[in-house]
Amino acid sequence: MAHDHSHAGHDHAHGHSHDHSHDHTPKGLARWLFSTNHKDIGTLYLIFAICAGIFGGALSGLMRAELAEPGIQILTAFVASGSEAEAENFYNVLITYHGLIMIFFMVMPALIGGFGNWFVPIMIGAPDMAFPRMNNISFWLYVAAGILATMSMFAPGYGQYLGFAGGWVLYPPLSSNTGHPGPAMDLLILSIHLAGASSILGAINFITTIFNMRAPGMTLHKMPLFAWSVLVTAFLLVLSLPVLAGAITMLLTDRNFNTAFFNPAEGGDPLLFQHLFWFFGHPEVYILILPGFGVISHIVSTFSKKPIFGYLGMAYAMVAIGFVGFIVWAHHMYTVGLTVNMKAYFVAATMVIAVPTGIKIFSWIATMWGGSIEFRTPMIWAIGFIFLFTLGGVTGVVLANAGIDHYMHDTYYVVAHFHYTMSLGAVWSIFAAWYYWFPKMTGKMYREWLGNLHFVFMFVGVNLVFFPQHFLGLQGMPRRYIDYPEAYAHWNMVSSIGYAVTLVGMIVFAICMFDAFFVYRKKAASNPWGEGATTLEWTLPSPPPFHQFNELPRFDKGGAHAFH
Amino acid sequence: MMKLNAGRAIAGLTAAMALFGAAAAETGYRPVDGDIAMLPAASKLAEEVHFFHNLILMPIITVISLIVLALLLWVMARYNSKANPVPRKFSHNTLVEIIWTGVPIIILIAIALPSFELLFKEDVIPDGKQIVADADGATNVFTFDNDFPASRMVAADRHVQVFLGNASGGVGLTPGKDYQLEGLGSPKVSVKLAQTPKAGDRLVVRMGRSLVGAGDNREIALAPTMTLKAIGFQWGWTYSYPDFGDFEFTASMTPKEATTPELYRFETDNHVVVPVGETIRVVTTARDVIHAWALPNMAIKIDAVPGRLNETWFKADKEGVYYGQCSEICGVRHSAMPITVEVVSRPAFEAWVNAKRVESGMEPMFGAIASVEPESKLADAASAVSAAQ
Repeated sequence: MAHDHSHAGHDHAHGHSHDHSHDHTPKGLARWLFSTNHKDIGTLYLIFAICAGIFGGALSGLMRAELAEPGIQILTAFVASGSEAEAENFYNVLITYHGLIMIFFMVMPALIGGFGNWFVPIMIGAPDMAFPRMNNISFWLYVAAGILATMSMFAPGYGQYLGFAGGWVLYPPLSSNTGHPGPAMDLLILSIHLAGASSILGAINFITTIFNMRAPGMTLHKMPLFAWSVLVTAFLLVLSLPVLAGAITMLLTDRNFNTAFFNPAEGGDPLLFQHLFWFFGHPEVYILILPGFGVISHIVSTFSKKPIFGYLGMAYAMVAIGFVGFIVWAHHMYTVGLTVNMKAYFVAATMVIAVPTGIKIFSWIATMWGGSIEFRTPMIWAIGFIFLFTLGGVTGVVLANAGIDHYMHDTYYVVAHFHYTMSLGAVWSIFAAWYYWFPKMTGKMYREWLGNLHFVFMFVGVNLVFFPQHFLGLQGMPRRYIDYPEAYAHWNMVSSIGYAVTLVGMIVFAICMFDAFFVYRKKAASNPWGEGATTLEWTLPSPPPFHQFNELPRFDKGGAHAFH
Repeated sequence: MMKLNAGRAIAGLTAAMALFGAAAAETGYRPVDGDIAMLPAASKLAEEVHFFHNLILMPIITVISLIVLALLLWVMARYNSKANPVPRKFSHNTLVEIIWTGVPIIILIAIALPSFELLFKEDVIPDGKQIVADADGATNVFTFDNDFPASRMVAADRHVQVFLGNASGGVGLTPGKDYQLEGLGSPKVSVKLAQTPKAGDRLVVRMGRSLVGAGDNREIALAPTMTLKAIGFQWGWTYSYPDFGDFEFTASMTPKEATTPELYRFETDNHVVVPVGETIRVVTTARDVIHAWALPNMAIKIDAVPGRLNETWFKADKEGVYYGQCSEICGVRHSAMPITVEVVSRPAFEAWVNAKRVESGMEPMFGAIASVEPESKLADAASAVSAAQ
């Protein structure tokens, strides 16, 4: 990735009499409703993700408030009838929409829609995405999906209770008319259809852009690792989402058009849905983490002032994780009644993924080894990611073993595992990316001590929330329970206190942002991070002009960025 | 906290059993507030699950996590910009890359071998059999039929366990020293004892492919002696006993007012009653949505899917009451349909079956309730011996 870039903002230096469009940056509705600019669309996605994250986090706050003590005492105040039964339904609604919102409306829009759109074209030296209008459609489909999901929360689900209350996995018969006859489930299915369509179109856009629009001389093996991560993620999206779409369409027709795909009384099989869902669902978790891996590679390299260790290994480890991620889905189904030979295969395949993941962890450490590390805010978050994701990964190795999973399945051990990889993995990488690219996107610096304080509160907070959940799972506490036997009280209280600490951290984050925009208002340089920041976005002003690379940067012989 | 967990396990399975035994007297086999370990094991299979987790998986993942932490701390201390102002530029080191690819592969294989063994034992319903032979004082060779399906035939020393004793107890014998096996893999297997047993002695032979348990504490799992059918519905469990006239009863969660705070959300109005020391086949299904039947002390969990019959098994080592909770989200009262299994002696079980049959309008099935089968006493003694080893 090393290239010579002893220049600055060269895209303004050449004659542009052929191109008047840069004077006519659109304004208002034309700019924000009808955008065809990857940076603006990226910004829209990031704002959307922040709003969704606040809402999804509020839902989990309600959950932790209820779970702080045994008994049902908090949620009865939030439901119309005040009855325990309606509160029980509401709790299940909370866990369902918390999962759906955080996965579909927070992590994916932030990493892929937000940072992917912003920086993939810039990093590969392209002026925009291959299909700028389709990019816009993708964003607004997401907004429509979000509106439908919100409507679903307030539509009748089971009897007169509102919302779908069956978990983000939507298993029938609980999600068919047997379990939830009301329109909440149908609205949710339509919402996921739109979100899926949005992501498929976005993935097509990324694949086409990355394959066709790299700057001259930038071969795939010279492309930055974040672009690699988005490329692999895009393939996962394009191959797995149609299967989800098929599964939920079958659910929709079962509910409304008398088909019987999942209805055993008419010859169908509820387990068919689970196979179809998890065929999507497992690649989905890699979709959620791979772009994060890409971000961490950039940050670790930048702040160690060293090229990433084993670049090809890192790129192909991501390809391997993506590929193997398609053939392990039934490790989510170890207790449904699969044959022992099936389970044995899935145990073996699942354990294989630990190898490329380990290669990445060790390569990041090897990048730091011998480097000259600056502990700037993004680097602190990245180092936190490496440790916390490792913890989540090793509990995944435990769960991969079906013999143990029979004990752990549907307990808080699983909840702890996926929150360590998601909340302390994907979310950590989102904050790392935010603090890394904030100056570039906004043209302003933030006060780093506030960003570091945010880190400290979040680190303590989320570990308090989720580490004790391993103990709860080992002690047998099932997940998706509004109330629990007294013997689980202690760790539940600790976990809920952790939420409060995390909330303080998020308030610090809000203050940091408010301060950066309205108080500190310090201008950011093109490259605030120093010699280690070697990718193309750091050659542009902060923020970049509306259009960049009207003249393509050249990486081939004689070009300004020629590789040695 | 990780170290505390491994430390407790390493305190010795035997010492830990005593510890758990003392705790169990208070809380039964239930969770303990603030505890960090798995729930106490009440079966040999659960002991094996504990062994796999506490003594294989936990040490491995703890060491890996500590190594990564140590490397990160070292790198932060040694290579920060003050300590190392000039960064090196290397980005390859083939040796190190081979090590961090190869060593995880070896570790994964080391995990996979016991993992597959455990999985097959959990999922394959055991089919072992136990034969009792009386010694006549003259023979030291006892021959048994090896009548299993081809892939399950007794074919190795570890597929046979031999106990010698009389009506009041027995001793486990050691292959090679106390007896030889002949005809392994063939339709007839012979146990040739080194010493001819006296007349009136009893020989108990267990034959089967499922050797269950941790360390020295293992026993061949026998074929089920009964089936328990568990039918999940919104929101409770209906149980039936097809081998005993198919009587049915429903178990619903005992409301808060009717039980103690410790047992609320565990206790049900009717208990599943099963005999101790016998292999129980559990078959599950559901009436409406997917539920799941779980008994963590026996390390089993199986989904109850409408339109489908799933099966698993367990064998309780000790009498007692064991609790589980529904483990697949099934609607509003998912957290209010627990499972209570009461493990009792065979005579108590028979009395209960008789009572249940009469309740359902059938004749009692079992005769004199106080009878004790000599075989089962020797079998109990055999279990006690293997437990002590």
